[in-house]
Amino acid sequence: MSTEESAGAGLDPSEQLRLFEAEAGGVADREAWEALRLRWIGRKQGVVRSLLGRLRELPPEERRDFGQGVNRLKEKVEARLVELDEELEAAERRRDRAEARVDVTLPGRRPHLGGIHPVNLVNRRIVEIFTGLGYSVAEGPEAEDDFHNFEALNFPPDHPARDTQDTFFLEDGRLLRTHTSPVQIRTMLARKPPIRVICPGRVYRHDNDLRHSPMFHQVEGLAVGEGITFGHLKGTLEAFIHELFTEDTGVRLRPSYFPFTEPSAEVDITCPFCGGDGCRVCSKTGWMEILGAGMVDPRVLRMCGIDPAVYSGFAFGLGIDRVAMIRYGIPNIRMLFENDERLLSQVRG
Amino acid sequence: MIFSLEWLRRYVPVEASVEELAARLTAAGLAVEGLQSRGEDTLLDVDVTTNRPDCMNHHGLARELSVLFDLPLASLDVSLEETGERAADLAEVEVEDPVDCPRYVARIVRGVKVGPSPEWLVERLESVGLRSINNVVDASNFVLWEMGQPTHAFDLERLAGAKVVVRRARPGERLVTLDGEARVLDPEALVIGDGEGVVGLAGVMGGLETEVTSATSDILIESAHFDPRVVRETANRLGMHTDASHRFERGADPGAAGTGADRVAKLIVELAGGSVLAGAIDVVNEKLDWGLAGRLDLARLDRFAGARYSDVAVERWLTGLGFGLEAAGPGVWTATVPTWRHYDFLPDPARPLESSQGPVFEADLFEEAMRIRGFDDIAADLPAISGPEAGSSAGHLRREEIRRHLAACGYMEAVSFAFHDRESEARRPALARVGDPLTLANPLSELYTVMRRSLLPGLESAVSFNQRRGAVAIRLFEIGHVFPGGDHPEVEAVAIVGGGSRGMPWDRRTPYDLFDLKGVVESLAEHFGAPFEVRPADLPGLVPGTGSELFTTGGRKLGHLGRLASDESPVPLFAAELSAELLTGTGVASVRVPSRHPGVEADLTLTHSNDVHWSEIERAVEERRSEYLVSFGLKDRYRGEGVPAGAVNTTVFFRYNAADRSLTQEEVNERHQALTRQLEGRFGWSEN
Repeated sequence: MSTEESAGAGLDPSEQLRLFEAEAGGVADREAWEALRLRWIGRKQGVVRSLLGRLRELPPEERRDFGQGVNRLKEKVEARLVELDEELEAAERRRDRAEARVDVTLPGRRPHLGGIHPVNLVNRRIVEIFTGLGYSVAEGPEAEDDFHNFEALNFPPDHPARDTQDTFFLEDGRLLRTHTSPVQIRTMLARKPPIRVICPGRVYRHDNDLRHSPMFHQVEGLAVGEGITFGHLKGTLEAFIHELFTEDTGVRLRPSYFPFTEPSAEVDITCPFCGGDGCRVCSKTGWMEILGAGMVDPRVLRMCGIDPAVYSGFAFGLGIDRVAMIRYGIPNIRMLFENDERLLSQVRG
Repeated sequence: MIFSLEWLRRYVPVEASVEELAARLTAAGLAVEGLQSRGEDTLLDVDVTTNRPDCMNHHGLARELSVLFDLPLASLDVSLEETGERAADLAEVEVEDPVDCPRYVARIVRGVKVGPSPEWLVERLESVGLRSINNVVDASNFVLWEMGQPTHAFDLERLAGAKVVVRRARPGERLVTLDGEARVLDPEALVIGDGEGVVGLAGVMGGLETEVTSATSDILIESAHFDPRVVRETANRLGMHTDASHRFERGADPGAAGTGADRVAKLIVELAGGSVLAGAIDVVNEKLDWGLAGRLDLARLDRFAGARYSDVAVERWLTGLGFGLEAAGPGVWTATVPTWRHYDFLPDPARPLESSQGPVFEADLFEEAMRIRGFDDIAADLPAISGPEAGSSAGHLRREEIRRHLAACGYMEAVSFAFHDRESEARRPALARVGDPLTLANPLSELYTVMRRSLLPGLESAVSFNQRRGAVAIRLFEIGHVFPGGDHPEVEAVAIVGGGSRGMPWDRRTPYDLFDLKGVVESLAEHFGAPFEVRPADLPGLVPGTGSELFTTGGRKLGHLGRLASDESPVPLFAAELSAELLTGTGVASVRVPSRHPGVEADLTLTHSNDVHWSEIERAVEERRSEYLVSFGLKDRYRGEGVPAGAVNTTVFFRYNAADRSLTQEEVNERHQALTRQLEGRFGWSEN
C-alpha cells in the first residue's frame, strides 16, 4: 500500500484506522511489523505525525475533534502494535520450540579429559590409606650407592641374597635401586624413632621378559618405636589390604627370608579373581602373593644407630604394578609402560 | 629344591598326609611349591631360602619335620672300622690359608673297587635329579644330599707327592675341571693343590686329572669347610655353579667336616669295599670359635611377637632344632646356636660375649619360635605410635597436584623407562646436563644404555607408539626423575607433549598449536603460584623460532618449550619440560573480592609491526596501569586483508571496575583514550 493511497483516505482518522487495521492484518513477521510501526507512528514520516501536522490547515472549530480523533487513532495503533508484537513473539517461541526437537539419543560431546597412569592411581590410593593411618611419605634418589641399597640392609658384600636382586650397575660404581628400602635407611639415619613412613617409587631390576619389566614401582612402609610387635605388622597389613581390596579379603602371612627383616613373611591375599576358590590366575591355590614384610632386622637398626634392645619396628613392601594389573585387569606388566592411550583412557577409579 | 619323601622318612617317621606335611613346612618358612608322585615316592619342591643351607639336604629338612610333628630324629651312622695303617703316614695336608679354609679333613680308603652303584642309590640320586656315575662319586653326592656336607674323592695315586695343599692359585695356573673345561685361574681363587699343580677349585669342583676312575684303588676323601665369600668369588669369576658351591656360598655347617668325611668313608666301604685307614687327617684353625650364644627371654619374645608363648613349647622347639638351652631364670635361657645355623645368626658386633645379652640377636632366636608355631594365631593389632610424623609428604602432594591438573587439562599420564640409548639422550634439550650421562655398566641392550636427562625422548616413543596405532591427537605428560650426570642430584621433571586436532566434526574439532601447550604450562604454574618469564631461545631439537626458555621470577631456569623438530610425526608436536621442584610459589593465595558494582569493558585494536612482541605491549600497559583497570589481555590477532604487510592487528580487551561505586562511561573513556594514545604512539604502524 502506497503513501498516495493512505493519503487518499483523507484526513478522517476513522478512515485511517480502517486502513491501519487492514494493513495490520497482513503482518506476518518482524520486518513487516517494524515497517508498519514506522509507517504509522514513526517520528518523522509516520501517518499519525503527518495528520497532526495537518492540524493547522483546519478551521479552528474542527481542530478539537480532529485532534481527539488522531489521538484515538494513535492509541489504537499503539495498542494494536503491542498486541501484534506479542503475537509475533508467541509465534517465534512456537517456532523455536518446534525447531528444538532433536534426536536425544545422539552422543553427548565429552570434555577431553586426560588421565592418571594406573600405577600412580594405585600409588595414590595406597598413600591415602597410610596417611590416614598417620604415616608420611619419604622419598629418595633412584641412583643409589651400595651402602643404602644393600649393606645397611644386611646384604653383606658377595652374599648370595644379592643374586635375587638382579642389579643394574652404573659405570661410576653406583647402582639403580632394586627396592625403595634405601629410603627407609635414609629415614632411619636422619631421624630418631618413633618413625612411620611410606616410601613409594620407581625401582629397577635387570630382568626383562613377559612377566618382568626392568623398571617397576614399589611402596614400602616402615614403623619403628618402642613396643612395636609382629601383631602390629599383621594388623597394619590387614587394615591396609581391606582398604585397598575388599573388607572380606583374606590375609595370610608365611615365614620367609629377607636379609633386612627378622622374622620375615610373605603375605598372601585370597585371590581377587576367584575369591579363594582357586582359578587359573592363582594356579588353583586360592591365594596370591602380593607383599613381603617382617620385623626390621636388628642388624639394620644397629646400622642406622637405633638400639634393637630398646626399639623394634616392622617394614613391608609391595609391587604397585601388580596391584594395578589386578585392579584393572591388565594381563601383562609390559602393557603398563607402552603408554597406549587406548588402554590408559579406560582406567579410572 | 627337590626332596624325596621316602628319603626324609628314613630319618623321621612322619605319617601325616603329604598335603599336611606341605602345609606345615610352608607355615614354618619352608614353602612347598610343588608335589609330584614318583612311583611309591612323592617328591616335594621346597623353596629353601638362602639363609637356610642347613635345610638343603634331607637330614636337615627331616629335623624341621621332627620339630613340627614332635617326632624323634634319627642320627646318622658314622661308625667306622679302621685298619691299623695310619692315614697320616700315607698322605699329607697343608692349609696355607686357615681363615678361608678353617678346617680340612681327609680320610683315606684303600683297595676300593670302583663300579656301578646299587639300584637303591641310583634311585635316590635320580629322585633328586642326579645321574649315577660310580659307587665312589655317588657316595659323595649321596652324603651331600643327605647331610649337606660337600665332599670330594681324589684318586690318591694321582695326587703328586700324596699331598694336598689348600692355597691361592699362582699366576697363570690352569685346571681342567671335572666337566672337561680348561680354566685359567685367578690368583684370588682358593684352590686345592697337590705336590705339583692344581687338582681342584676349593668348594666348587675337582679336577679331571685326579678324578676317580675304574682304575682307582686308593682314594683320598676331602671334607672341608670353606669361607662362603671365597667360594662365591671363585665360582662367580669362573661362571660356575655346583651343588657344592651352592651350599658353601650360603654357609655350610662348620662342624660337619669330620662327620661328613666319616659318613662318606663308611658308605664307600659298604659300596665299593676297601678299608678305611686309621685316623682322619684333620687340619683345624683352632683360633676360630664357632660357638654362638644369646639370651632368650620369654617375656621379651611375647612383647616382640604380640602373642604369648609357653616355656615348655619353646624349649622343645629350640632343643629339637639343635639349640642348646640352659635355664638362666624363669622363662629365660642362654641359647647356644647349632653350628649348622651359624651363618644365619651372625652376632651383634656391638655387644661383647660377656654381655648379659650374649652376642646373638634375640630377634634371631625369636624367629625360630615364631616360625615353628606359625604366624596364623598371632592376633592382629594396630600400633599406637606417638610423636610427630617422620617426614614430609610435600613432594608427593605436589606431584599429585601436577597429575590432577594436567589430567584435568586433557593430558594422559605416561610412564616410560628411565634409560634409553645415547642418541635419544642427546636429541632434545634437558633441564641440566653435567658431563657425560650416567651410563649403565650392564645394560639390558643397546637401546637402554644411559640414564635419561630429559623425559622428552621417552614421551616421543609413546607418541610414535600411539601414532602407529592410529592416534590423531597426542596429549601426553610424564613426571619422573632425570639424571643430569656426575654427582648432580636427580631432578624431578614434568614433560608435556601435544599435537594434532582432537575430535570429530560433531565434537567441534579443535586445532592445536604452540599456544595450546603454553597455556597448559601457564595454568600449571599459576596453580602453584609460580609465575615465569619466557625468553625466546634456539634450543637443540626444537624448530628455530619456536623455542623458549622459562625462568622463575628468581631467575632460575624452570624449563623450556617449543615445537619438536621431528621427521616422524605426521602432525607438528609441541613439548615442554619443567622442573617440578621449581613449581613452588606463593602457594595458597588470598582472593580479591570482586566489585559489586558493574564494570565497563573496552577494546583496543593496535596495528603494529610483526617485530613488536606481545610482551612489550603487555609491559607498556602494566607501566601505565590506571587505578580502575582490573584486567586486560589479548583478545585476538589478525593478519590479512586490510592489514599492511609486515604488520599485525592486535586487539586487547580491558576491564575497568571500581570497588566502591559504578564508574561512569566518561571516566573510563578518559583513561582508556589516554592509554590508547600512549600505545598508538609507541607501537602504532607507520608505512615508513
